[in-house]
Amino acid sequence: MDPSEVEFLAEKEVVKIIPNFSLDKIYLIGGDLGPFNPGLPVDVPVWLALNLKQRQKCRIVPPEWMDVEKLEEIRELERKEDTFTPVPSPYYMELTKLLLNHASDNIPKADEIRTLVKDIWDTRIAKLRLSADSFISQQEAHAKLDNLTLMEINTTRSFLLDTLNCMYKLRSNLQPGSKYISDVV
Amino acid sequence: MPCERKPMRYGHSEGHTDVCFDDTGKYIVTCGSDGDVRIWESLDDDDPKSINVGEKAYSLALKNGKLVTAASNNTVQIHTFPEGDPDGILTRFTTNATHITYNSSGSRVAAGSSDFMVKVVEMYDSSQQKTLRGHTAPILSVTFDPKDEFLASASCDGSVAVWKIEEQTQVTSWPLLQKSNDVINAKSLCRLAWQPKAAKLLAVPVETTVQLYQRDSWAQVGTLSDDLGTQAINVVAWSPCGKFLAAGSIGGLLTVWDVESKLCVERQTHEKGYTVCGLAWHPSGGQIAYTDTEGCLGVLDGLSSSSSSSSTTTSSTMTKAPASYDDLFDDDDDRPLDEGISEGARSPAKNPGDEDDDDDLIPATGRARNRSAFLDDENSLDTGSLKQGLDKFVDDVGSAIVLPAAVAAPLRPVYDGPMPTPPQKAFQPGSTPAHLMHRFMMWNSVGIVRGYNDDQDNAIDVEFHDTAVHHAMHLTNSLGHTVADLSQEAVLLACPGTDELASKLQCLHFSSWDTNKEWMVDLPKGEDVQALCLGQGWAAAATSALMLRLFSIGGMQRELFSLPGPVVCIAGHGEQLLVVYHRGTGFDGEQALGVQLLQFGQKRRQVIHGEPLPLSRKSHLSWLGFTAEGTPCFIDSEGVVRLLNRSLGNMWTPVCNTRDNCKGKSDHYWVVGVHENPQQLRCIPCKGSRYPPTLPRPAVAVLPFKLPLCQTTTEKGQMEEQYWRSVLLHNHYGFLSSSGYEIDEEGQSQAQKEQQELLMKMFALSCKLEREFRSVELAELMTQNVVTLAIRYASRSGRMALAQRLSDLALEKANQLQGEEPQEEEEEPLQYTRRNTGSGLGRSGSAGGQNRVTNVLDSMMSSSKKPTALLSSSGSTGKLNKTPFLKPLAPRPKTKVQHNSVYVRHKSGFQLWLEDNRRIILADNPDLEETDVIKEAIGRFRTLSADDRSVAVLDILIPVRQAPTTIPRSKPLKSFVLPIHSLNSTHTQSMSQLSLPLHLHHVSNSFHGGPSLCGFLFDPCT
Repeated sequence: MDPSEVEFLAEKEVVKIIPNFSLDKIYLIGGDLGPFNPGLPVDVPVWLALNLKQRQKCRIVPPEWMDVEKLEEIRELERKEDTFTPVPSPYYMELTKLLLNHASDNIPKADEIRTLVKDIWDTRIAKLRLSADSFISQQEAHAKLDNLTLMEINTTRSFLLDTLNCMYKLRSNLQPGSKYISDVV
Repeated sequence: MPCERKPMRYGHSEGHTDVCFDDTGKYIVTCGSDGDVRIWESLDDDDPKSINVGEKAYSLALKNGKLVTAASNNTVQIHTFPEGDPDGILTRFTTNATHITYNSSGSRVAAGSSDFMVKVVEMYDSSQQKTLRGHTAPILSVTFDPKDEFLASASCDGSVAVWKIEEQTQVTSWPLLQKSNDVINAKSLCRLAWQPKAAKLLAVPVETTVQLYQRDSWAQVGTLSDDLGTQAINVVAWSPCGKFLAAGSIGGLLTVWDVESKLCVERQTHEKGYTVCGLAWHPSGGQIAYTDTEGCLGVLDGLSSSSSSSSTTTSSTMTKAPASYDDLFDDDDDRPLDEGISEGARSPAKNPGDEDDDDDLIPATGRARNRSAFLDDENSLDTGSLKQGLDKFVDDVGSAIVLPAAVAAPLRPVYDGPMPTPPQKAFQPGSTPAHLMHRFMMWNSVGIVRGYNDDQDNAIDVEFHDTAVHHAMHLTNSLGHTVADLSQEAVLLACPGTDELASKLQCLHFSSWDTNKEWMVDLPKGEDVQALCLGQGWAAAATSALMLRLFSIGGMQRELFSLPGPVVCIAGHGEQLLVVYHRGTGFDGEQALGVQLLQFGQKRRQVIHGEPLPLSRKSHLSWLGFTAEGTPCFIDSEGVVRLLNRSLGNMWTPVCNTRDNCKGKSDHYWVVGVHENPQQLRCIPCKGSRYPPTLPRPAVAVLPFKLPLCQTTTEKGQMEEQYWRSVLLHNHYGFLSSSGYEIDEEGQSQAQKEQQELLMKMFALSCKLEREFRSVELAELMTQNVVTLAIRYASRSGRMALAQRLSDLALEKANQLQGEEPQEEEEEPLQYTRRNTGSGLGRSGSAGGQNRVTNVLDSMMSSSKKPTALLSSSGSTGKLNKTPFLKPLAPRPKTKVQHNSVYVRHKSGFQLWLEDNRRIILADNPDLEETDVIKEAIGRFRTLSADDRSVAVLDILIPVRQAPTTIPRSKPLKSFVLPIHSLNSTHTQSMSQLSLPLHLHHVSNSFHGGPSLCGFLFDPCT
């Protein structure tokens, strides 16, 4: 799976916008949106919010969790715990990236938020690597990881699977007899 | 005694604190439970010096540059002052010391401790200690006799004891206090205080009073009390002159008594009502510093002029003294009231004291009385000091106390009725306070006007919610505008006048089609704009001269009129202007506001004639405006939203309480708009304040309406609430259509349908609950065809009596409806003809117009832009616009009959008439050829009057389809369940057989009966 595909999925998340135009309900396959009243917050999917934002047709209201204090709390918790802690949104990384890239003027303290989310991301990825490492070194057959987001799984999937395949090959060659190795040596 | 309570500031962490001044009065020194001693240069000192003395500091004393503190390590330490260097340990206890104090010369320190002991230590030789044993509980406080002979102490064992220091013996003891086992459990800290200088009196706080004990005799000579003091007094402190005693209570009340007269001369409450636990009087006597158990420090300032006045005013009043002396003692029986007045007038130096009444209302009655007494006292005191000299007089306090108090009492009549409320100031609804640097000058449904007034910039930003209206604007605010309004057409701004410049009204008329998009008006000198608003095509400004000035949006001056009182705020919408002003003075926290609703436009009239505005108790107006649909609405400071109920004699109905939706006690909703359709109250949630800051940009939330009906938790209550809310919030349809605006018919019929559904549900519910009477009551509110449903429901559920009653009701309704018609007909031409002439009703035989035949309502709208084709085919008469137009009476039928009906295609009125009347003509002249028939018909048609012609055609347009109920067309009229439209159609059919004039007249009546009829057209082919 491509990261852009994950991002595409994230664009279906709902975000609040404050439109500066007036429009009746629009009926889409994915559901009805609107009505849009100027100045009144309305829920729309991220893809539409970004599109409207790019055309300067709305202001985006950042999601509740996109707040410096809340993210700091999450970061502290994430650093304290050994396991993965629940994240504020299953697409927190993608949303942060999308919203901050396109609507940073509507998000107070955008830079701090970017840093905090990156911190959380780094902590989690480090944990993921660590657990992959122990998974391999202990030669476990399976493991269970909670609270991982799609994007996080996606980053490690190709590498981990390839590695495991490779190691499996090595081991299966190793098992029948140490002949192969001794041959090589 | 006038004094100013400065705002408290944070000094220490929560817990017990103590405060004192240094000898010169330059510094305030505090200690607190954080173990720090802080040295403040003044209350505004941002960086006080801190000295850490231990984990906790219980008490401190300062004299001669030596700071003594009682800390939690059971020691009494010395620090140098103001350097704060440790200077040794004075003494130790087995537990912590609770209170320490210097003697007057500063040579000794007394310390009371939780180990039941009091120690008196020589400052310069700490080995010389005297221990006073005898208390059986921790010591609360200690105080030295200024003459160094005695020492008084209070203890948790409930006793207050006096000791002879040299002999270390107890002289006397009074069981005055409540017993407790520790200082922290004691009800009061019971800080004793010995009168300085004279050393005559010992003040002991006992419950809510302060008892005064005389030296040597140890007899109680007086009690100082205060009516308002309901909480125990914690600390007392004498003024340096020894004439006043200040006390701080558990409840945060600070009181100052004049000890001679025993009258309270000053009373202040702690701004948050926390317990006062430290109190110190500035060496000059002009200031009192106090601390509370939350660690905050406060100062009462400006006491000096009064407290030291005995000495300063002596010279000035010397010449007058004999006169006032005479007044006091000779004439007071005869004219005690004059006395008070003349006394007051004679001492102008003290008059400023009366002025602070205006803004400080809390204990106004008590203070006014006490102050007058105090002022009068001053004179007697002056005379006394003149005769006897200060010291001698003070010595004489015991005997002198009684007389001035007795004299003072009857001097001024006391008003203790309800107190007037300060009238609320004029404001702009949707703005935040003007003193803010960054504020909203206006937030309404059109956009936002923000004002910035800081060091860099004095500017105004205008932003529109809908960018289609206009792009955002940035204006430099060189004139200093303070009020603003915003509409789809213009921005209106106004500034108050200054000495040089008159008050100005500025209008940015951005929707103007010419190039000049701005105008400005100077108001006459001395007249300030206080409130303004914009309507459609006009602007209004209410001024300080109690005037309301109207302008056209282009800048032409229009009408002006006087307001009955000072304006509070005004609001405009369309052609309506709503003015709220002060009707009079409110009492006890209430505002007395009046409201006027004016209507401009073609029908100029006053809709509300200055009636009182019904605010919640003890609240003020916080928002005034119109709903988006044009219904006046206001919100008071209690958060109650009230809407004008036009169908109930213009009464105000509460529709929402925003405070019900708040989570916290100090949270509020700041309203920015009210919408009736959809039912929305748009507001900004404000945490812990009444209005939002400009940054971060606040987000709008939507609150629902809820009528405060009883028992809305029950199903019945809920439905009743829904029904009446729906009725109330759809009132605007009636208003809009009657004042000539286009209305959303679909919304209206939807609302009516919803209301009828609710009625039906309530009907079913009350049927289930065996409440048949109530069911009939509900049915009375229903429209006729819903009543038929109700009848069916009743008969199916076997309630024949109910069904019978309902059928009577249905019949009654039908009759009523018919009875109303003739009257309607007479009224209507007056009301509508004028407008209809201009509405482009002419020949309109287009196919598009034909389809709109159903929409009779359209023709009611003067502003309707489409040429209304009420009677497309009758266009041939060419005189249609004189026809009186029709007013809807019964609502449309719920079934969508339009779909079933087939519409007439192109046909002239004559053709239609001919088809209907061919038979009559043929009957009259059976031998005519086809062409002759037509000729004859043309002749007859011409003899008809214009009205009759159109009606005759109308009659033909009457439906011939089957009624939605099961009753066949041919069924006779008397059937009780017959709904009105089927009734009419059958009626018409039968009538059409009759002779023409009668027929036409009758049909015209029945047609007026219901617009629903027009939905059914017959197919000409059938």
